[in-house]
Amino acid sequence: MKDHVCLGAVMGSYGVRGELRVKSFCAEPSAIGDYGSVTLDDGTRAKLTVVRPVKGGYAVRLAGVPHKEAADALRGQRIWAHRDALPALPDDEFYHSDLIGLTAIDTGGATLGRVHAVHDHGAGDLLEVRVKGKPVLVPFTRAVVPTVDLSAGRLIVDPPHGLMPGDGEDDAP
Amino acid sequence: MSRSVWKGPFVDAYVLKKAEAVRESGRTNDVIKIWSRRSTILPQFVGLTFGVYNGQKHIPVNVTEEMIGQKFGEYSPTRTYYGHAADKKAKRK
Repeated sequence: MKDHVCLGAVMGSYGVRGELRVKSFCAEPSAIGDYGSVTLDDGTRAKLTVVRPVKGGYAVRLAGVPHKEAADALRGQRIWAHRDALPALPDDEFYHSDLIGLTAIDTGGATLGRVHAVHDHGAGDLLEVRVKGKPVLVPFTRAVVPTVDLSAGRLIVDPPHGLMPGDGEDDAP
Repeated sequence: MSRSVWKGPFVDAYVLKKAEAVRESGRTNDVIKIWSRRSTILPQFVGLTFGVYNGQKHIPVNVTEEMIGQKFGEYSPTRTYYGHAADKKAKRK
């Protein structure tokens, strides 16, 4: 499922009419129903429709799931959408799923590591790059990350002084 | 109970010193490593990047105007939650 993104997971059945209770991983949880046809872990493709919000997630209807027993059988499966189903973004906006896995190289061409995660702690987005196994948080700004080349699978990082481990003073005052 | 106004905002002295030194040197892109999560963000810190210690590592915090009056520690969580990427977006500023 390399060209798919995980939108959520089936927690079990909801009610007795074949509805499913799903947990959404989307930025806007109700958006799980916006991608139309989805794929489950077992390869089943079906149209997903959000019925209503319920405690801990959403009640959804999946085409081809007619009754509670069929819904129960899907418990634990993850829900995937094809990457192409996500809408295009303006310049300088990227999906986390596109950034994760990119190779980070410095301005000299040396490989620093891979992007492991993207965080936002309230002060702008940060890329977590694993440098020799250790996480280094890189601010996702034009000054620090001047180039993002998704087709080549890499981004260029120009780390300011003090960002990389060993830079600057490491002792508390 | 909130802090008395007559005392002014609390900032560790070494944070002020380091910020001033970086401003004077003109290298405002440098990450200023600090351990003081309790210090208040002051207007003169806007535009600077601080590496705020979270007990393990220094989290880069680029200070903007909206952060004035908050504490540095608020932008440097001590626990990491990875979650799922799904359709989440990141904007390069």
